[in-house]
Amino acid sequence: MSTRSVSIRLRRAAHRSRLLQVGILIAFWAAGEALVRLTGLPLPGSIVALAAVLVLLARRRLCVSSVRRGANWLLAEMLLFFVPAVLAVLEHREFLGLLGLKVLAVILVGTLSVMAVTALTVELGYRWRMRHERAAVLA
Amino acid sequence: MSGLLSSLDPWAAVAGWSAVTIGFYLVSRQVYRRWPRWWLMPLAVTPALVMLVVLALHETYRDYIGGTGWMIMMLGPATVAFAVPIWEQRALIRSHWPVLALGMVAGSATAIGVSWGMASLLGLDDTLRLSLLPRSISTPFAMEVSADIGGVPDLTAVFVVMTGVLGAALGDLVIAWLPLRSALARGAFLGVGAHGAGTARAHQLGATEGSVAGLVMVLVGLLNVALAPVLAWAVH
Repeated sequence: MSTRSVSIRLRRAAHRSRLLQVGILIAFWAAGEALVRLTGLPLPGSIVALAAVLVLLARRRLCVSSVRRGANWLLAEMLLFFVPAVLAVLEHREFLGLLGLKVLAVILVGTLSVMAVTALTVELGYRWRMRHERAAVLA
Repeated sequence: MSGLLSSLDPWAAVAGWSAVTIGFYLVSRQVYRRWPRWWLMPLAVTPALVMLVVLALHETYRDYIGGTGWMIMMLGPATVAFAVPIWEQRALIRSHWPVLALGMVAGSATAIGVSWGMASLLGLDDTLRLSLLPRSISTPFAMEVSADIGGVPDLTAVFVVMTGVLGAALGDLVIAWLPLRSALARGAFLGVGAHGAGTARAHQLGATEGSVAGLVMVLVGLLNVALAPVLAWAVH
């Protein structure tokens, strides 16, 4: 079998198999982590890998259907991967009392204001641009 | 004291704890599909149930995390996966990036300002205040920023997850209260305010909301990592 037919077979398998696609994404992530560790970049390895995948997609070196199914599955089940992180609360029993309530208050008020400010900024900016563009088209 | 599962060999502990976590996750996801109330969210219910099992078996956090560390590791490849929705929505992003950038800057400034103000008002100590600052960005970024500004990355990870759970719930309130006509605004506030959990919620609202949230989540994280040295200088 020539290298060309092997690569075609691999590509076909990648388009079909979700598991293989998850494997491809894990490989990208591992490469990103290794690169960050080697070069001492002040960025998380996963972000370097994300940027690399975007560049490969833009350069047409990577076909989006070779990773789409795996990516959608990872994103749909992402909440599962957060679960063990929450259990770290067990190591911090000091948050079970008044201190925990204070922290909760900071998070509650903080998150609500971040959301309201972001939502209103984007919504108003969007409406302003829409009106602006319509005016430009009419003029 | 060491419990039942940790006395087994390491592989059995991995299999056991992973099965407990995935099992509760699948059940709570089914329950949430049937009754979509915010307090039934899998991200809130699953850890609570797992915690009960850990405590009931007299295990420690170290035993548990030894068996499930691979799941936290999977957050890395899941972050890489955001490349796909970002790529597929590139036209939308190209035409609206100024508005999104404005929203991200306003959101980040609010996150830092309100956290710092509230934490000072309630008399929280410096370690806690610093660890609370980066909590609205996604875990890998938040832990990076926390270490840079002198917080405790472990604590920050817990606050990030609490923000996610509360944020996905608060998101429904914001949608109910504010007259948001654009999918852009609905996606952006969920991504900026509640990182991965908010993005997962945005995916349920629609494909556009989901990819906008995924994009701003990544960009807000980058923005905060870039600003961390400035922030460190400002708080010390």
